[in-house]
Amino acid sequence: MTATSGTVHVVDDDASWRTSAARLLSVAGYDVVLYESAEQFLATAELDEPGCLLLDLRMPGLSGLELQQRLAQRTLPVVFVSGHGDIPTSVLAIKAGAEDFLSKPVDSGVLFSAIERAIARDCAERDGRRQHDALRARVDALTPRERIVFDAVVRGKLNKQIAADLGTAERTIKWHRHNLMEKLQVASFAELVSLAEHLGLVSAHDRPTPGFSSAAQQH
Amino acid sequence: MTLYGSKTRTLSVLQALITALLLCCVSGPLRAAEEEARVLMLYGLDAYLPPFLAMDKAMRGSLANETSGRIQFFFESLDSQRFAMETVEPELAALLAKKYGALRINVVVAVSRIALDFFERHGAQIWPGARVVFVGFLGYEFNPSALPAGASAVLSILDAAGTIDIARRLQPGARRIVVVSGVAEVDKRAEQQAREALAKLDQRVAVEFLSGLPLPELLARVAAEPPDSIVIYLAQFRDRDGRPYEPHELLRALVKTSRAPVYGAAESMLGLGAVAGSVASYESRGRLIGDQVRRTLAGGPPDPSRTVLAAPNRCVADARALQRWSLDERLLPDGCDIRFADTPLWRQYQREITATVALIAVQAALIGALIVQLRRRRAAELESQARYLEVAHMNRRVALGEMSASIAHELNQPLGAIRNNASAAEILIKADPPRLQEVAHILADIQRDDQRASDIIERIRKLLRKTPFEVRAMDLNETIEETLQIAGGAAADKKVVVKTELEPGLPKVSADRVQLQQVILNLVLNAIEAMHQNGVHKRVLTVRTARANGKESAVSVADSGAGIPADSIARIFDPFVSSKAGGMGMGLAISRSIIEAHGGAIRAENAAQGGAVFRFTLPFAEASRA
Repeated sequence: MTATSGTVHVVDDDASWRTSAARLLSVAGYDVVLYESAEQFLATAELDEPGCLLLDLRMPGLSGLELQQRLAQRTLPVVFVSGHGDIPTSVLAIKAGAEDFLSKPVDSGVLFSAIERAIARDCAERDGRRQHDALRARVDALTPRERIVFDAVVRGKLNKQIAADLGTAERTIKWHRHNLMEKLQVASFAELVSLAEHLGLVSAHDRPTPGFSSAAQQH
Repeated sequence: MTLYGSKTRTLSVLQALITALLLCCVSGPLRAAEEEARVLMLYGLDAYLPPFLAMDKAMRGSLANETSGRIQFFFESLDSQRFAMETVEPELAALLAKKYGALRINVVVAVSRIALDFFERHGAQIWPGARVVFVGFLGYEFNPSALPAGASAVLSILDAAGTIDIARRLQPGARRIVVVSGVAEVDKRAEQQAREALAKLDQRVAVEFLSGLPLPELLARVAAEPPDSIVIYLAQFRDRDGRPYEPHELLRALVKTSRAPVYGAAESMLGLGAVAGSVASYESRGRLIGDQVRRTLAGGPPDPSRTVLAAPNRCVADARALQRWSLDERLLPDGCDIRFADTPLWRQYQREITATVALIAVQAALIGALIVQLRRRRAAELESQARYLEVAHMNRRVALGEMSASIAHELNQPLGAIRNNASAAEILIKADPPRLQEVAHILADIQRDDQRASDIIERIRKLLRKTPFEVRAMDLNETIEETLQIAGGAAADKKVVVKTELEPGLPKVSADRVQLQQVILNLVLNAIEAMHQNGVHKRVLTVRTARANGKESAVSVADSGAGIPADSIARIFDPFVSSKAGGMGMGLAISRSIIEAHGGAIRAENAAQGGAVFRFTLPFAEASRA
């Protein structure tokens, strides 16, 4: 079996199923960590490596769905397995971002592919987060003045307006703008806006509207 | 003059009145004393011989019926067959004279010739003025012409000839006739009469007289007689050695020994084993004696035509004796009175028997009716039990239906594990080299999980099975734990924490396992449902067991829900009263039926700390009752 390397966190109160799942997944080449309850997972899980969560829906104490909700901030793809999944529960789970919703007994092929996808997604998300963090670091490296100009530029303000707002010369703004584009390693106004959006620094309605774009003018 | 004359007349009238009054007063009691008649029964022989007792009874009955005045009876027995009269007679006469003294006897009934002779010799001294009624046998004992003046008699006839005639009818082929008699005076007279009767018989029949033989010899002689002989027993009061006998006792011995039929000459002998005889009944004789006594007491001139009365002789036979000697009763003369036959019992007690039979019939009918009713009730009970089992089964299906999701979940756990293990084993076997050691572990795990799955299925199947009501002694705690395993999934689904507080060492209870589980399941599912509205952390179900008293265990199922509304707590066990939105309202009704069928009780209440508590009791099984 060739598998994307990753850690599968198995949370299931049924010892027998937990053991068998661990056996199957480790034979298939995954690293497996077992938890007998959601609480134990929350207390002890280390999520540094890419991986996914193989989560039993129904457990005493915290249920699978509740654990999923608590994990919303700590992104780790979840594959649910349920002894008897009804449709409302599975809809809830998928809406909450579950990677997949499987029923016991699970065909090994289906299980592997679900886990593959989940891990792949985790890897992708981890890459995305890393990229995001790098961009963020660049933005954070801007001087306060450059940051003000950046915020104004991505909201579609013209250099002239910005200069007027800040009570400075248009040329100074131009210079800041040049510097910050260099620091942020973007070549165009469009890239700059895209970056801002990516980092969530600008919302959709803040975007410069088409027809009022000053991109051509700025260049 | 006139005036004076009238005065004298008045005086004389007054005088007469006073005299009359005085006379009345004096003569009243005297006459009253005279009204009581005194009758002496004077027996020459043992007065307690059965014929005398029978006669005495009939006589007294007749007198009591037909005489208005009071009669006082006296009685003396000379017992002459045992005590020789000549030796005691003077002293006896003197004693009796002294004994009776001034007591006036009106009538002496002299039974037997000996008594009559005694009366003739001493009656005038002992019982002056008494008139005699003689009771005895005609001919050999007495001749009517020798009757004393003023006496009357009731005679019976020793009909030896008639008896012999009956015997010859019954035994036409008989060649020998043996006549048994004694040597006492009465014996001899009877024998003499028989001899005269037999003398007239044809000569083809040999006749032998056994007179006064001592008992052993007599029995030996009779036993030697061939079965076709005729034995005529006249009566033996004394044997030739002077030994006295009770003639009836002797007859018994004779009948027992003899192979030939024995005929009796007196009514009292029939019934003691004698086959038949021409006899006069004692009862008719007794009545005739009564007639004579009454007539004598009445006084007046004697009626010559009534001076001597004789009781008629009739043929009487004993059916049992006829049967014993294989004699044909059809050979008896017409009108012969056959006694002791089986049929007379029916005739004699016809009314009683009819009444008894009717009573028995009525009772039998009543019993029959009761049995039919009982059967019907049984059938109805069986039918109702069948319906009850049907409904109970339906309830279990509904209950399990409610749990189907959790049951599926529970079942899929081991199935999921098996699938995982099988997939893992597949990979391990394809490895190079195959990792067989691990596969062995896996196979063991698969077997364990498979067992687990089949256990679950078995539990469900048992609960779903339609079983007849079968009570056994069982461990209550064990049954509860097993049921909680079934319901465990449903509890987990609803986030209910199940706690148990089971008292260890409870005596076993007698119950139907499936139905007991059903009750627990109903209560647990209800409790889970009742806590639906609670916050997740407040759903606690507690099952407790404890001894209720010396005879039963109690099980309680408590929840932490809102409790039972006050207005429905009284009706909660009624059918179609449901606490659940989609409930049929059968669960608790069935639970109550089940518990009551087990001899227990169930009730519901709200706990002080909140929530409902359902509590039921079950009696200990007979064997484990402490």
